[in-house]
Amino acid sequence: MLSLRSSLACLALALPVFASAQNPLLAPAATVVQTEQTRTELLAHAPQGARPGQTVWVGLQITHAPHWHTYWKNPGDSGLPTELRWTLPEGVSAGDIAWPTPRKFPLGTLANYGFDGTVLLPVPLTIGPGFNASQLKVQLEASWLVCRQECIPEEGRYTLSLPVEGSTALNGAAFEASARAVPTGQAAGDSTLSPDGDALKVSLAGLPAALRGQKLEFFPELPGVIEPGAPWTQAWEGDRWTARIPLSAQRSESPERLALVVARAQPTGSGPGEPGVRLDVPVQGTWPPVAALPAAEVPAELQAALDANAARAAAPQPGGASALTLGAALLGALLGGLILNLMPCVFPVLAIKVMAFARHGDNPRAHRVQGLAYTAGVVVSFLALGGLLLALRAAGEQLGWGFQLQSPAVVATLAALFTVIGLNLAGLFEFGHFLPSRVATLQARHPVVDSALTGVLAVAVASPCTAPFMGASLGLAVALPAWQALAVFAALGLGMALPYLAASWVPAVARALPRPGEWMNTFRHLMAFPMFATVVWLLWVLGQQSGIDGVAALLAVLVALAALLWAWGLRGRSRWVMGGLSTAALAALLLALGPHITRLQGGTDNTTVATSVAGVSWEPWSPQRQAALLAEGRPVFVDFTAAWCVTCQYNKRTTLADARVLADVAQRNVALLRADWTRRDPQVTAALASLGRNGVPVYAIYQNGRPPQVLTEVLGVEEVRAALSAL
Amino acid sequence: MKRRPLLALAAGLPLAGWLPAMAQTATVGQAAPDFSLEDTSGKPVKLSAFRGKTVVLEWNNPGCPFVRKHYQGNLQALQKEATAQGVVWLAINSTREDSADYLTPPQLARWMAEKQAAPTATLMDEDGAVGHAYGARVTPHMYIVNAQGVLAYAGGIDSIPSARVEDIARATNHVRVALAELAAGKPVSRPTSLPYGCSIKYRNAAG
Repeated sequence: MLSLRSSLACLALALPVFASAQNPLLAPAATVVQTEQTRTELLAHAPQGARPGQTVWVGLQITHAPHWHTYWKNPGDSGLPTELRWTLPEGVSAGDIAWPTPRKFPLGTLANYGFDGTVLLPVPLTIGPGFNASQLKVQLEASWLVCRQECIPEEGRYTLSLPVEGSTALNGAAFEASARAVPTGQAAGDSTLSPDGDALKVSLAGLPAALRGQKLEFFPELPGVIEPGAPWTQAWEGDRWTARIPLSAQRSESPERLALVVARAQPTGSGPGEPGVRLDVPVQGTWPPVAALPAAEVPAELQAALDANAARAAAPQPGGASALTLGAALLGALLGGLILNLMPCVFPVLAIKVMAFARHGDNPRAHRVQGLAYTAGVVVSFLALGGLLLALRAAGEQLGWGFQLQSPAVVATLAALFTVIGLNLAGLFEFGHFLPSRVATLQARHPVVDSALTGVLAVAVASPCTAPFMGASLGLAVALPAWQALAVFAALGLGMALPYLAASWVPAVARALPRPGEWMNTFRHLMAFPMFATVVWLLWVLGQQSGIDGVAALLAVLVALAALLWAWGLRGRSRWVMGGLSTAALAALLLALGPHITRLQGGTDNTTVATSVAGVSWEPWSPQRQAALLAEGRPVFVDFTAAWCVTCQYNKRTTLADARVLADVAQRNVALLRADWTRRDPQVTAALASLGRNGVPVYAIYQNGRPPQVLTEVLGVEEVRAALSAL
Repeated sequence: MKRRPLLALAAGLPLAGWLPAMAQTATVGQAAPDFSLEDTSGKPVKLSAFRGKTVVLEWNNPGCPFVRKHYQGNLQALQKEATAQGVVWLAINSTREDSADYLTPPQLARWMAEKQAAPTATLMDEDGAVGHAYGARVTPHMYIVNAQGVLAYAGGIDSIPSARVEDIARATNHVRVALAELAAGKPVSRPTSLPYGCSIKYRNAAG
């Protein structure tokens, strides 16, 4: 059976049956080719003759056997468009086929665009001034694919001579019918096409009244863009027709404009479809990448976060749906906040806490009140920060946890604040000397407020890092309805404050402290140094954001600030003179140098950073670079980091600089990429979101064809080496 | 009473989020769907068993003139060239049993032998499951899975969609180019192209 059909097909290819002239007028040229599936004929229409300046229409008329079809210019899922190759005398040139509106032929999950019955594919011939024969000899080589379920490629050769002076109008009706079947051209106007995820959003304006309210078929002229056989949706909104058409998962084209034909769906009869409308519409937005990054099949710990994301994307239904995952997130947040106290992130505030604790000596009640106040300060700050984050995200900002330190102004303010606290601890001045007395007494009489403010400060500088459990919870929180998200933030704060709160309620802890005495002063002076160390760190963060000019400007401001604090602590006339001078100096400096501090330095750092192992270096991360490396088959280790994240910096200088880790990296040819989130960067925010995270540090190993692996925030040498050895 | 549907909805939501991902067809740059199919002698062949090697998937149907175009020497040469370099070549036939084009496993094996074809294995996919998983539309539709199991290429065999053998010499063979790039450790410069050929004769969607 097979060989029979093969030979039939071969017959069709090799031995087209040249029917001798059936039309006596055109004798003796061969104009008809007949096979089992098709009868094809070369037709011409030249009512005014074929003199120079005239346009003559010629065309191939295909009559299909029942159930067989040939193809349109975009054949759809399979098939081939019919091809016409002309041989013409000098001075005569052929145009393109004026394709009639096609029909859609569904075949299970696939679909084709083409014609059944009888169709004429017309082509205009332009007769140039150089043409001066008495007969116009037209030669055509045509090839087409004719299919039912099975397909047969066929070819034919045709010759036709037209009298230049006489009229050729015998087939006028066929050409007129074909011209009517050609879709009407229409300007794109405010019609739009925009890729949206895995679909193409179509919105066509001003379609003719005859089409309105009708169910339409959509024929893109370019193949390889949409999924012709997939189900799709369409709707009329007044005179605007909208549709959502699935894009091909293996799309081969990403055009800037797409010419398309819309026509009534499922027209009756055979031949061309009902005359449609042709538009050439610019594509708005960007096509989704054809070669996507490896899919996130998710590590178990992130499942909850991603489930929530997926649920949110599937149906924006607040409340109820995520009760279980919310519970997990709350627990994770509490644990994460607790662990945050053990992370290097809290180094800067450690001193503040120890001081606050020592200050009240052996007074259990005071300790308890302080503990509660500190907790309240921390929780309220977390809520405020979280609320601000959610509000800004809702306003469309691409932000994540720690966003406050992405602003140089905030960093500079914190540096100034820590300088003031440091100078105070060092004994340069006492708050009582220059603060309005009401505020000073507030501080003295209401140590509760003081404790609460300590909590606020702790959150401002220590919270931007994430800890284990906390990362996933935060990632989930930003996707939850607002009140649930705020509950997660509150749980984080509670977790962070918990150790101090617990300590303040255990009398033994307070009793273990020495009685107040001279040691308190020494201790206080000692604690000034961690404060200054914090200022150094903040200056370094600012340096990443505003550059050396920003740092120098801030240092100058800090010097003026210190002078001012000292001057207002003086007595007598010198207080007013020095105080006035230093205030003026500070104001002038702020005015002159302020912009240097808050201005973000242009351009990100694009340099590659070498490591201690030859051939291993850190490259700046970009989604493109990551995709390129993965396409090369290299595993990619991404360090999502920020200068203001102390844990990130700690890991960077310990584990990630470890010689054994780097040796493993070299051996396994792992590419190292560093995604810096010190400043705002929507791309980094998006990459974090794809891992179910919304804060740093995150350490992820990507490998072609595998789900990304997220390591813990407390990055250990052994953990990294184990992960690398599994590659 | 009113609670039940809500609870069911809550339970169903995460699932609903995942369903489309599972039903999605193979995408270049993502993990190639794994499969196990019997070859023409009934021996099971599993894609993931070839992890570490580049694998070419060729959708095949001897009843299709486009397949025959390339089996006049072009595909055999490419198969020999590829397998000689350690590439695994799997020819897959997704034609349903009641199609006029259907060949039984021994018939298909005989045709491949007559053509002196040289794939690593010729596989039967009568229910079309693997064809659908890869989104294969036509014969020949070509795919390349890289050594890491990631789909690196999906598309046509070459750049000239026609049934004419003469066009092969003029065309750029996308599969040959992609294999050379993968062998050189380079990314595939053209990861997708327009596949051309006959529709695959799948069982109806229900099957």
